[in-house]
Amino acid sequence: MLLKELTEAFGPTGFEDEVRGIVRRELDAMGLSVRTDVLGNVIASAGAHRPGLRVMLDAHMDEVGLMVTHIGEGRDEGGLLRFRPLGGVDPRVLVSKPVVVGERRIPGVIGAKPVHLQEASEREKPIPMEKLYIDIGARDAEDARRHVKPGDPVVFATKYEELPHRMAKAKSFDDRVGCYILLEALRRWKGDLAVFAAFTVQEEIGLRGAHAAAYQIEPDIAIALEGTVAHDVVDTPSHGQSTVVGKGPAITVQDAQTVASRRFAEFLWETAKARNIPVQWRRVKGGSNDFGAIHRIGKGVLGGAISVPVRYIHAPTQVVSLDDVMHAVDLVVAVLDEIAKGGFRP
Amino acid sequence: MKDWLMRLMDFVAPSGSEAPVVKALLDDVREAADETWVDALGNGMARKRGHGPLLMLAAHVDEAGVMVIDIDPRGYLRLVSVGEVHARECVGRQVRFTNGATGLVHADPAKQGDLDFDALVVDVGARSREDAERIAPIGTAGAVEVPVVTWGQSLVTGRAVDNRLGCAVAAEVFRKLAASGRNVCVAFTAQNAVGARAAQAAAFQLEPRYALVIDGASADDMWHDHPAIGLGKGPVLKVMDRATVVPLEGKRAVEDAALRLNLPLQYEVSREAWSDTGGIQLARAGCVAVGLGYPVRRAGAFAMTADLSDAERLVDLAVATAEAWLG
Repeated sequence: MLLKELTEAFGPTGFEDEVRGIVRRELDAMGLSVRTDVLGNVIASAGAHRPGLRVMLDAHMDEVGLMVTHIGEGRDEGGLLRFRPLGGVDPRVLVSKPVVVGERRIPGVIGAKPVHLQEASEREKPIPMEKLYIDIGARDAEDARRHVKPGDPVVFATKYEELPHRMAKAKSFDDRVGCYILLEALRRWKGDLAVFAAFTVQEEIGLRGAHAAAYQIEPDIAIALEGTVAHDVVDTPSHGQSTVVGKGPAITVQDAQTVASRRFAEFLWETAKARNIPVQWRRVKGGSNDFGAIHRIGKGVLGGAISVPVRYIHAPTQVVSLDDVMHAVDLVVAVLDEIAKGGFRP
Repeated sequence: MKDWLMRLMDFVAPSGSEAPVVKALLDDVREAADETWVDALGNGMARKRGHGPLLMLAAHVDEAGVMVIDIDPRGYLRLVSVGEVHARECVGRQVRFTNGATGLVHADPAKQGDLDFDALVVDVGARSREDAERIAPIGTAGAVEVPVVTWGQSLVTGRAVDNRLGCAVAAEVFRKLAASGRNVCVAFTAQNAVGARAAQAAAFQLEPRYALVIDGASADDMWHDHPAIGLGKGPVLKVMDRATVVPLEGKRAVEDAALRLNLPLQYEVSREAWSDTGGIQLARAGCVAVGLGYPVRRAGAFAMTADLSDAERLVDLAVATAEAWLG
């Protein structure tokens, strides 16, 4: 199952090879023109030489993770791995989580002092990242060095599983769900339009790959496909939720890097409504996606984002609604249809 | 210039909602231009072909503001900022939205200390969520109302003086240079208040050799006997901000022009500002881009004061600098 395979692939920022392999395999099977650029972005196109609007669809391949910075020496911490975050990781979610280190997938666990041994004051505060370490069961530093080097990337060891009520849990729905939506939309869509699909690298540390992808594609219109924050859980008022899982893909009005084109956002909204696809506004300003980089390239690019609500985003286990995912695919296909018909003029 | 400035100040145009004021500005310069257009990011552009290298004038049209981000079941709006706005500046004030709707901002009395936007609700007189969605739907931008007042001949205080005054200056300089046959264009830029996002795309399209970027410069004469920048003391050369350092060639051209015109010149070194100048300077292979300013006394994001006599002298300085460059 493609969504399972994508979320379980190893692909922290800068180390997207496994994801790239899956994406290229799927694109090749569709018979699209595909290339990988110098930064590692995968760019596919359909109808690239058709006259008229050039439409770019974007999803980033990387996920948040960790990076080994240091292998502990000496009696107390010999063989334990110190690390720093790759992308926005909340240290409070790390304790006791299973991880895999490096592309050889050395299993480990993020350790911390057990509750029995903590002082009363220690129990009151979350453990800062500098105090955490990854335990791979090494006997000492020399033993650890046989398996791991500083600079090795780390991801959570979460398996994809389906939950009741058409929900699923996995790591890295941000943004493998976008990769999945983009692949499925390309598989389904048939039409007369120059469409470019960019599967980008290094989004989580500053929208870096998308910048170069947009520079090469020179789109007139771009849409980022994203997993976005949802906090529709107990005791959260409407204005603290951002999005609600199961209520359809979300459309941005403003985030940390973009003020949406009102006209394009309404075009997305009306396209969804006209086809009975559920849709919601993303009701928060924080966070951003690749469109923040793309829209500023060259002569400027119109567009926006279609996002799937993700509970516990950037955490080891994230939750989505599979209905939202399928509705996002429907919406992307509908939007391409409308643009091809001349339903949106920049 | 005063009447035109007042008309421009009446537009509510937070970043991303610039279209009506851009249209008014382009209408104003259309007669002097060969072509005008609005680009994907909302920049308004006018170009007049002439002899010599191309000079770009730029002035941002947008202002900081607020945006509706949620509507509660009782019909009250929740806001986020557009650009640098503190929640406390909005409390007890009327917000005018881009669609003409007006709201009154309330702060949660249970919240202590420095407020954030989560503590605010806006009453637009709606009786339900559906009612509010009709009046000011999610994504609608607005700004806090500040009545316009003039003091004497040349002082104007109100909302969005910065940078509608700069737009009026840039338009005037464009007309003067176009009338004398120069190769000149003007960009009324969008999305400056959220971090100078659109100016580089404007310069990318225009490919200028030289650029003059007109914007407000923060005056500190409310607080100091010997201020760095004061109202009525002449135009400002923007030496450095977070996005740019003035190129020596440009600095000298401005200083020489000021000397020829016998104009006083003030200097701004800003640690805070993200100017359009940086993006314009670095578009494509780069150009000689210089920021010029008029002093502004700022009282937060919405209320500010400028002196039109500074702006009039800024027009002369910009024209003289451009003429020296363009021959």
